[in-house]
Formats: sequence, C-alpha cells, structure tokens
Amino acid sequence: MEEIVFGIGITALAGALATVAGAAEDTESDIGSQGDPNSQVQLAPQMGYIHRIFNKAVAGEPPAYGLWVALGAGLAWAFMAMQINPILAIVLGSALAVFVQGVYATTAYLGRTASLAKFGQPVYIDILKSMTTVTMAHAFVAIFTTVAMCHLMISALGHPFPLPLLGLVWGIALGAAGSATGNPFYGKERQYQEQKFGAGVPISASGNIVRYAEAGQRNSLDNGFFSAKLGGPASGICFGLIVFFELWRTVVFEPLAAGWGAVIIGIVIILIFAIIDRYIEVWARKTFGPYTAPEEASS
Amino acid sequence: MSALGGPKQTGGVQSPTGMGIAIGIVLIIVALVLAFFFAQMAGLIALVGIIIGGVLIGFGVHFVPVGGAPAAMGQAPGIATGVAMLAAGAGLAGLFGGAWAAPLGLPLALAGGAVGGGLLMAITCTMVNIIYVFGMGIPAASGKVAKDPITGDTFPEYKSQGTEGHGLPFISWVGGVIGGALGGLGGTLIYLELLDIYQAQLPTILDTTVEQIAPVAISLAGVFAVGMFLMNAVLAAYNITGTIEGPHDPKFKRFPRAVIAAAVASAVAGIFSIGLLELVGVF
Amino acid sequence: MSVKIEAGAGGGIPHNQLVIYGLVGSLVLIYLTYLNTITGTQYFAFFGGLAAVVALIWGTDTIKHLCSYGLGTGVPSAGMIALGSGVIAALFGATTGIAAPIVTIIIAAIIGAVAGVMANHVVRMDIPVMIISLTELAIVGAMTVLGLAAMACGTFEFIGMITGEISILGFAVETYEFSLIGGSIIAVIFMLGAIAIQHSFNACLGPGERQDRTLMLAAECGFLSMITVAIISFAFIGFIPALISLLVSVIGWIYTYTQYIALSKRDAYAWLDAQPILEPKGGA
Repeated sequence: MEEIVFGIGITALAGALATVAGAAEDTESDIGSQGDPNSQVQLAPQMGYIHRIFNKAVAGEPPAYGLWVALGAGLAWAFMAMQINPILAIVLGSALAVFVQGVYATTAYLGRTASLAKFGQPVYIDILKSMTTVTMAHAFVAIFTTVAMCHLMISALGHPFPLPLLGLVWGIALGAAGSATGNPFYGKERQYQEQKFGAGVPISASGNIVRYAEAGQRNSLDNGFFSAKLGGPASGICFGLIVFFELWRTVVFEPLAAGWGAVIIGIVIILIFAIIDRYIEVWARKTFGPYTAPEEASS
Repeated sequence: MSALGGPKQTGGVQSPTGMGIAIGIVLIIVALVLAFFFAQMAGLIALVGIIIGGVLIGFGVHFVPVGGAPAAMGQAPGIATGVAMLAAGAGLAGLFGGAWAAPLGLPLALAGGAVGGGLLMAITCTMVNIIYVFGMGIPAASGKVAKDPITGDTFPEYKSQGTEGHGLPFISWVGGVIGGALGGLGGTLIYLELLDIYQAQLPTILDTTVEQIAPVAISLAGVFAVGMFLMNAVLAAYNITGTIEGPHDPKFKRFPRAVIAAAVASAVAGIFSIGLLELVGVF
Repeated sequence: MSVKIEAGAGGGIPHNQLVIYGLVGSLVLIYLTYLNTITGTQYFAFFGGLAAVVALIWGTDTIKHLCSYGLGTGVPSAGMIALGSGVIAALFGATTGIAAPIVTIIIAAIIGAVAGVMANHVVRMDIPVMIISLTELAIVGAMTVLGLAAMACGTFEFIGMITGEISILGFAVETYEFSLIGGSIIAVIFMLGAIAIQHSFNACLGPGERQDRTLMLAAECGFLSMITVAIISFAFIGFIPALISLLVSVIGWIYTYTQYIALSKRDAYAWLDAQPILEPKGGA
C-alpha cells in the first residue's frame, strides 16, 4: 500500500513537471515561430510583407525537442557518472543543452533570413539579441522539467530505460504534444489576427501575417505573451495529462488482474476522451451553427 | 513542389514496379535465411516479429491525421505537425509503456505499448479540438469527404470559405488513436524481439549474468527500435506525401505500398540488428 | 513543414567531389582514432569528432540534392531516415574490430540502398537521385554515429563501447552500466547527428541559398555536436584527453560560427540593428 501511495505521489509530481514542460515548450516555439507556423513567417517576405518576427526554423518541434531533452539527459547522465549530485547534474545538463539550442536558433534565423535577400528581407540583428535569450529561458524550463521527470521515472518508479533514451522518447512526445496543440492557436489566431474569427484562414490570404502591434512593430515577444494565455497552458495540460495517465494507469492498476488492469484502465481512459471529444465537436456544431444552408442532398 | 520535378501528383495510385516487388521478396527471403543461420529458430521468430512490427508502424502512420503547415492556419484538417514525427511521438510513448511492462510477458507488454500510443493520440487529438473550438471558434470539417463515416455529420456547410476544411472530425480522432496504437504496438514488438535476442546472447559472449548485461541489452534494443521506427515512419510519410486526414482520406488507399516498403526495410535493418553479436570476438 | 524548398543556383564545389572528400576524409579521420589503441593512450579521440564533421558536410550537400526535388514532407525527415539506418550500420560495423569503419560503410550502403529502392520502386517517389542519395545519407549517418561514439569513448570497437569504469569509494570497478551503450549515450549521438545533418540545409533554404554558407553551417553544427560529446567523454576517458577534445571542438566551433555569421552578413539584404521594418518600394 505504501508503495502505491509513494507511486501516486511520484506520478502526480511527474504530471506537474510535464505540465510546466508543455507550457514552456509551446511558448518557446511560438516565440521562435518554430514548427508549422514557421511556413508563414518564411512566406511573408516572398509576398512583399517584410516583418520583424523571429524565424527559428531548427526542425519540426518533435525532433528538435527530441535532441534538446536527450542531450540534457545525456549530459546529466554523464555528470552523474562523474559522481555529481543528480539535481546539480540535471541543471548543468539542461543548461548546456540550452546553449546548443540557442546556437541552433541563431544559425537558423541568420540562414533563413539571408536566403531571403532577393525579397528585401533584412537581418534584424536586435531580434537575435533580445529574443534568443527569451527562447533559451523557456527552453531551459522545458528541458529541465522533462529531464527531471525522466529521472523520477527511473529512480523512483523503476523504468528500465537509461536516462538519455528516456529523454529521447519523452522529448519527441513533448514536441509532438506541444506542436499539435499549440501551433494552430499561434498560426491562426496570432499570425492572422486580422482575419475573421471562427473561420480558417483563406488560402488567398497566405503570407499576409500581422506585422504591426498595438504600438510600433510586432516582434516575437508579443507572440510569446499571446501564446502564454491559451496555447501554452493547453499544450501543458495535454502533455501533463499524457504523462500522468500513462504513469497512473501503470502504477495503480498494474497489480490488478495480473497486469491487465493497466491495459483495461488505459482503454477506459481512451473511451472517456472519445466521449469528451465528441461532446465538444457536437457542441461546436450546434453553437457555431452551419455557415451556409445545408445542401439538398445532405438533408 | 519545386521546378526540378518530384513525385508525380497525378490522380490514382501508381502500383509498385515489378522490379521493386521482386527485389523486396528476394531480400526478405535472404534475410529470413540469414536469421535462421545466425540464431536458428529464435532468430527466425525474432525477424518475423521485427517485420510485423515494421509493417504495423508503416500501416499505422496512414491512420494519423496530419495537416502539416496549412493545419496551423485552419486551412486544412488534421494536426499541425509532421506526420513521421507525430507518429514517432505516439509510437515511442507506446514503447515507454511496453518496455515497462516487458517483464510481465509478451501479450501484456504489447497491449501496454498499444494502449500507451493510443492514449497519447487520444489526449492530443482531444486537446487539438479544444483549441480549435474554444480558442479559435472553429468547428471541425473534413475537406475530403462530405459526411463523417462514423457519426454521419455533414461537413460542407461548416467549412470556411477558401479553405480545405479544418479541425479534427471524429473519424480523424478515431484514426489518430488507431494509428498511435498500431505504432506503439509495432515499436514495442521490435523492441521485445531484439531484447530477447540480446539477453540470450550477450551473457554467453561476455561470460556475465543477465542482470549485469541488462543495461546494454535494453539500450541496444531501445535505440534500434527507435531507429527502425523512424525509418518506417519516414517511408510511410513519403508514401502519403506529407499530409493525410485519416482512414477516410483517398490517400489511405496507398497503404499497401508502404506496407511492402516497411516490411523489406525492416527485414534488412532487422537482420543486421539480429546478427550484431555474431561477430563480437571474431576479429 | 511544407515550405517551398528552393536551392540556390549552381556553382561552388561539385557534389561528386564532395562525396569523395567526405568518404575518404571521414574514413581516414576515424582510423586516426586507432592511434589510441596503438599507442595505448586516449589523446586521439577527437579525430572521431572531426570525422563526423567531414561526414556532415558531405551529408548536407546530399540532402540539398535530394530535397530540391520536393519530398512532400519536411527536410528533417531525411535526417531521421539517415540516422535511423546509420545507427544500425554503425553498431553492426563496430563489432568487427579494426575493420569497423569499412564494414560500417558497406552495411550502411546496403541499408540505405534498400530504403532507396523501396522509396523509388515501391512507394513510387520516382526521384532520380533517391537511391544514391539515401545510400549516401545512410553512410553519412553511420560515419557520424561511429565518429562521435569513438570520440566519446576513445575507440570504435564494440567491446569498448559496452564496458566502462566507475569509481565506487575510490575503487575503479568495471561495469556495463556506465558505458557508452549501457548508458544509452548512443541515443544522444543519434539525435545530435539527426538534427545536425538536416539543420544546415533546412536553415539556409531559400532562393538566396549559397553552398559555401550552407557547408560552413554544416561544419558549425558538427563542431557544436563535438562540444557536447567532448563534455560527455569526461565520463569515459581520462581528463587530459577529454580536455584536448573539448579544446579542439570549441576552437573549431568558434571559427566556423564567426565565419558563418560573416557569410550571412555577406548574403543578407541588409544587416540592421534596432531598425524599423523596411517596407519595399511601392508598398506591400
């Protein structure tokens, strides 16, 4: 019993760390316009819209975070092997991984922008100075919490994977959850703020991203401030729920039915999410209403 | 696409060439023979397991609804990220669960892996819809079909002007969960087969106990499972040219090509993973 | 990401020449780490990292050739398939002792060619350079993994990768857990290679892409990966050899990074600090 209570405590802590990680990850990638919304930042100058948005195209978020977290975990593992205490090792490992992230961010901005010279997009060097540090700070939070979560899974819950491999697995999952949840909010609601609310961006409007702010010119810190209100926390909840339920079903229900308890509970959770999703979908259809009258054939 | 050419985007599914199929069959047979030669029945069973795992991954990727960059603007339905990477996220989360349940036996570990992958996709897809509906006020609408095959919802009147649809209709949600579950199942299967081989061979070669060698066996099996997962997922992503809405998308019918490609690629990669320890100490 | 993928106009070093430089260079440099075994020291570990740098420069040019055809999915996926097949080939090759680098190249070529044939003839990508590109990429991935692994633990032999030492209460104990593979550092090397191989072209793509800038960035990514591997190598090899590795990588990184910034400055439309948006003449 005590073991299970301990396990639930660790599960809750890991879920909380994952929530922070997801929120920081999405805010970081939105400040850098990483992932899919990047395509519009890249496209805008070609359409004649010169902007001052950070264009940090390192890779899709899942592989990028796969590297940052695996690297943080690998360095932390190496420091622990050198007899450094785990907390210090994780902090040092994450800090060095963030250094790599920052260097990649600057080279990506310089490379993409310099290649757009034909369209008259200048390199704004102050963007690098002011925004790289902000993305690095967010990335540090995301990497540190994820590596700490992986360390908990190994040392407290006894997962067989070594720390760097676990970091790779959860880093890719973190990027997948964060980019899936957070990208549309930044891509549609922020970059195309001037377009109609409640509708997708017409393809003809592609590239016409918002470039001016309430006062002066929009920069990516304004975007981080915006994402942090919904996209970031939602990504955090997404990744937190994933980690929490994944651990919870194993820690609490594995002793039941010779191990099948964890599988059954997992399926039940999936079904509950199916109901939630369907409810939201139907609610949206009823509330927002059809945009055009239904055609005859579809009755 | 670029002016230099590229895959033909014309309609219909081009079937694999005869040469491709023939090379594939020959390679699978050669790999199976070599597997038997390296580790007898255990090797043969392991390779078959790896091939099945690879096929499950390649097939599963086709279920995952991915809209790529246009999805981030609400211009196309699906999840706004890369298909190979989203599938990898789900499959590796499944691998996490499967590896944890490995001591409880093969069926339970496989079920754990499948549920782990499905769970990630279920939560992610639900959160995507929450963002679309409550963050952006956009209801789900598919661009490829007029009616959801499961719920019977109609889509054309919910689609915004100038887009190909947006959000995740229920059929895409179901597809995502199936895709995640298949990916988790396939990844876990590859991992378990390789782990069995290494745990049987490493102690005899190095003259140690299974417990001492466990970290090496787990790491090798884990890294190879990740590597093969990514190979198969990328081949499948090439097959669907980046974006797909789910099982109702016409592109879904292309899956036999990815299944063949994944089987052959996994067989070749698998045989080198199985034969890895044969040469230790020979040189 | 479905950004329109454009490569700059021709010029620069022809691809075939880069293939030869990359293949021979990385092979020779990896073999230089064998000096460790011959001399019984660990001072030559950093040559493995240099081999990875050379391989990455070659791989970047290959990715540029492949991705200029438009794969329908992002540039990063090419890096993933390269390292996915490369890591298997590298570890298989490592078991063959002194022949490791050569066996690695052969095995990687087989796996890459199979993936290429499948992509072209079964998945029907029908891209002329597909088979040769995936073959090259698999070799690059394998050499990167083998090179960085050799740098981390001082040898490219499998036994060296799975055994490590840890001091418990002052006594050095042989263990499998604290080794390159036992600790899954190989997973870190896998991701370092997978991002480094695709980043340079992914970051520089666009109509103004220039080969020298892209390749300089490839070298920068390689040295940056070397820095982290050098730090990890403190856990496996002696203090002085690891310090040498770290110094070599930091010096190489600083040089390539400043060169890359200079090249970006050369190619940029304008280099502005705290200036407003320059609206194009005639308005947007």
